[in-house]
Amino acid sequence: MSKRRTRTQVLSIFAIVIILSTLLLGCTNESKEDSASNKESKNTLTFAWPRDIGEMNPHVYNPSQLFAQSMVYESLVSYQDGGELKPQLAESWDISKDGKEYTFHLRQGVKFSDGTSFNADIVKKNFDAILKNVALHSWLGFIPKIDQTKVIDEHTFQLTLTEPYYATIQELAVVRPVRFLGEAGFPKNGDTSKGIEKSVGTGPWVLDEYKADEYATFKRNENYWGELPKVKKIKVKIIPDAETRVLAFEKGDLDLIYGEGVISLDTFKQLESTGDYETSVSEPVATRQLVMNTKKEQLSDVRVRQALQYGFNKQAMVDGITSGVEDKADYILPTTFPYTSNIDAQPIDYNVEKAKALLDEAGWKLPKGKNVREKDGKPLEVELMYDSAESIQKAMAETLQAEWAALGVKLNIVGVELTVQIQRFKGNDFDLNFFSNYGAPYDPHTFVNIVGSEGFGFKEAISSYPKKEELLQQITDVLKSTDEKERQKLYSSILTSLQEQGSIVPISYVKKVAVYQKDVSNFTFPANRDEHPFTGISIE
Amino acid sequence: MGTYIVKRMMAIIPIFLLATLLTFGMIRLSPVDPAEAYLAAAHIQPTEEMLEQKRHEFGLDQPILVQYVNSIIKICQLDFGISYISNKPVWDEVTYRMPATIQLALGSILLAILVSVPLGFLAGIKKNSGIDYFSRFLAFFGASIPSFWLGYLLIFFFSVKLNLFPVEGIGTVQHLVLPSITLALPLIALYTRLLRASVLENLQEPYVLFARTRGIKESIIMGKHVLRIAISPMITGLGMNLGKLLTGTIIVEAVFSWPGFGRYFIEAIFNRDIPVIQCYVLLAVGLFLISNLIVDLIQMYIDPRISRKGGHSQ
Repeated sequence: MSKRRTRTQVLSIFAIVIILSTLLLGCTNESKEDSASNKESKNTLTFAWPRDIGEMNPHVYNPSQLFAQSMVYESLVSYQDGGELKPQLAESWDISKDGKEYTFHLRQGVKFSDGTSFNADIVKKNFDAILKNVALHSWLGFIPKIDQTKVIDEHTFQLTLTEPYYATIQELAVVRPVRFLGEAGFPKNGDTSKGIEKSVGTGPWVLDEYKADEYATFKRNENYWGELPKVKKIKVKIIPDAETRVLAFEKGDLDLIYGEGVISLDTFKQLESTGDYETSVSEPVATRQLVMNTKKEQLSDVRVRQALQYGFNKQAMVDGITSGVEDKADYILPTTFPYTSNIDAQPIDYNVEKAKALLDEAGWKLPKGKNVREKDGKPLEVELMYDSAESIQKAMAETLQAEWAALGVKLNIVGVELTVQIQRFKGNDFDLNFFSNYGAPYDPHTFVNIVGSEGFGFKEAISSYPKKEELLQQITDVLKSTDEKERQKLYSSILTSLQEQGSIVPISYVKKVAVYQKDVSNFTFPANRDEHPFTGISIE
Repeated sequence: MGTYIVKRMMAIIPIFLLATLLTFGMIRLSPVDPAEAYLAAAHIQPTEEMLEQKRHEFGLDQPILVQYVNSIIKICQLDFGISYISNKPVWDEVTYRMPATIQLALGSILLAILVSVPLGFLAGIKKNSGIDYFSRFLAFFGASIPSFWLGYLLIFFFSVKLNLFPVEGIGTVQHLVLPSITLALPLIALYTRLLRASVLENLQEPYVLFARTRGIKESIIMGKHVLRIAISPMITGLGMNLGKLLTGTIIVEAVFSWPGFGRYFIEAIFNRDIPVIQCYVLLAVGLFLISNLIVDLIQMYIDPRISRKGGHSQ
C-alpha cells in the first residue's frame, strides 16, 4: 500500500519537474530576431561588445559604455584628427583675453530626439546638473574651475572660470559627463547622478530596444541635424567572451568586431590572414608605458634607468607580443597628439654593451661567480607589477625579466588585480609598473597634470629627479597658459625632461582593431578614443 | 514528516547568520577599497575628496559593527541594498537574471538525468557489456574535459560548421541545447558511475536473491526494487549539483553569453560591489539548503526506511 503511494508520488514529482522546465522554455520562446535580422541585414549593422551598455545617462560613468553614450548624446565641440577641435552643438566660441570667459554660439535648429529644441536653457540645465556633483567630475580639469554658467540669449551660452585653463574646449569634447540630455530626461529634482527618466539626446542614434546582458538596438534619429547615418539600425550583442565573439563573427552573426582588447591580437592576425574579411588598425590611441619608481634606491640613479632601457630589444618584444599590430614607441605620448611632436630627446636604441657600461659606471658591479650585480652588498633586484588579466602585460614582463637577467639585473614579476595595481601605484608601493595614458581627447594635458599632482603615483615616482621643482612649475604654468607659443614651448620642455630622466619608458603605441565582413564599407576609427565609429559606415 | 521539515527550516537561521558574518568579514579583509574600485572601474583617477564622498555614500565611513547590524536588519526585509556600480536595487538585478539561470540549471539537470539513469542502470545490470564500456568511456571523457573547451568545440562544430544551433544568446530551445550539453556532460559522467556502482552493490544484497527464489519476474526485481534503492546516492549528488547550477555557472554563461547570475556576480567581485557579493553569498546558502532539503524529502519518499528510522540505519 505505502510502497505504491510513494512510487506514484515520485513519478508525479518527476512529471512536475519536466512540465515546469518545458513551460519555462516555452515562456521565453518568443524571439525570432535571428531570421528577421537576415532579411533586413542591409539596413542593420550587428556588432558585439563585451559588456552591457549600461544606463543611457550622459552624466554618469561605469557601467555605462562610452560608445553607446556617444551614439545618443553630443557635445559642444568635437575632437578630430591631430587634435583639431571642430564645431558640434556649438557653431563657434569666443574666449576672453584673460582666458576665463567662454562664450558659445549654439547651433540653431537642432532638435532632441523627442522633438524639443536644443537651446541655451537646456545647456545651462545640463551644466547645473553636472555641477551638483563636482567632486565626482573633478578629474576633468575645467569642471572644478567653473565659476558660473549663464544664458545670454536663446542661442548663446556663457561659461566663466575662476582661473584660466587652456584645455577647456578640448575637455568639452569628451564623451562624459558634459553632453546634453533633453528636458524630458531629467528627474524631478534635477539631479541626474542617481538616474534619468529616459534617454533623450541630439545624437544620430536613438535607443530602441534594450535587454540587459543580452542586446541593445539603436535606430537612426531621422531628425538628426547633421549627416544622416547610412544604416538604419545598429544592433549591439553582448558577448563577454572573446573566443565566442570570433566564432559568432565567423558564422556570420556579426558584421563587425572593433575596439581595444576585444579580441586577442593573435586572433586578429589569423582572421586577417584568411582573406575572407576586412581588417583595419587605428592610429595610436595611447602609449603603453613602463614607470620606474625613483624612490626605490636601485632605480634612483638615472644611469640605471637608462641602462634598463638600453638593455632590452623593444622592437622585437613589441612585434612578437602584439603580433606586429602595435608599433614600438619612442616617445612618452603619441606624436599625433597636440603639442607632442616637438620633443628634443634622442630615442634609446637597443644596446646591451652600453647598458652594461652604464651599470658599471653607476657602481653596480657583477661579483665573480654571481649573476646579479651588487653595490655596497646590495643586489640589483627590482619588482615589476602587472595586471594579471592583461596577457600583453604579462608577456612583456616575462620578456623584460629574461632580457635584464642577461645584464645582471634580477627582475621579479608579480601579477595583481587591476584594482590592486592602481592602489599600489597610487600608494607608491611599487618598483616598476605598467601604465597607459588616457589618449585623445584627454592628452597631453591630463597626462602632465597627473604627473604633477599628488596622489596619482607619478609625482612620488619621479621624486628623485634633479630638476623636479622646475618641472612641476612648468606643469602648473602650462595648464594656465593663454599663449599658444608659450604653451608649445612648455610642453616640449616638460615632455623632453620626462623623457631624458628615463623613469617613464615608452614601450608601444596602443591601437584599436576592427574586423568586418566584406559587405561593410566606409569603416573609420574616430579621432576621439571613446567615440562610436558608426557615422559613415554602410552595408552593401 | 511535518516536524522534520520545521526542524530543518529552523536550522537554516543560524547557518544564515554565520554566512552573513563570514562574507561581511572576508570582504573587509580584502585590501581593495570599494570606493576606489568603483572609480577605477569608471576609468577615473580618484582624488581624495571623491573617495571620501563615495565612502560616505556607501556607508563605509561608519564603524564596522554598525555596518554589519544595519545590513542584517535590511536583509531581513529582503532589502539587499543598492549596487555600488549600477545604482539599482540589488534584489531587482538578481531577480531579473534569475529565470535565465534557472532555465539553464533545470535544462542541464534534466538532460543529465535522462541520459545517466538508463545508462548507469543498464551498465550496472549488464556488467562488461558494450553499453558498460560505452558508459566507462563517457565517464572518462566527461570527467576530464574542461567545460570551456567543450563549449568552444560544440559551438565550432554544431554552430559554425553545421549551423544547427545559435552560437550564443538566449531565447529559443535551440539556444539552450549547447550550454545544457556542456553543463550536463560532467554530471552524466558522475551519475552514470554512481548509479552503476550502486546497482552492482545492490545486486549482491540478499533481498534480490530472496525475490528471485520467490519467482518474481527479473524485470520487476530490477525496475521496482534494485533501481529504487540504488538511485539514492545519485539523488544526493543531484541535490549538491542543483544548488551549484542554480547559483550560476560562470564559465558556461560567459562562453555562451548566457545572461544569468554567474556573469553578474563575477563582475561584482572584481568591482568590490559589496551589496551584490553579500546578496550572492546569502542566496547561494539559501539555494544549497533548500535544494538539499528537497532532495532529502525525495529520498524519504523513494526509500521509506530513511524517514522511519530518521536516518540511514536499517
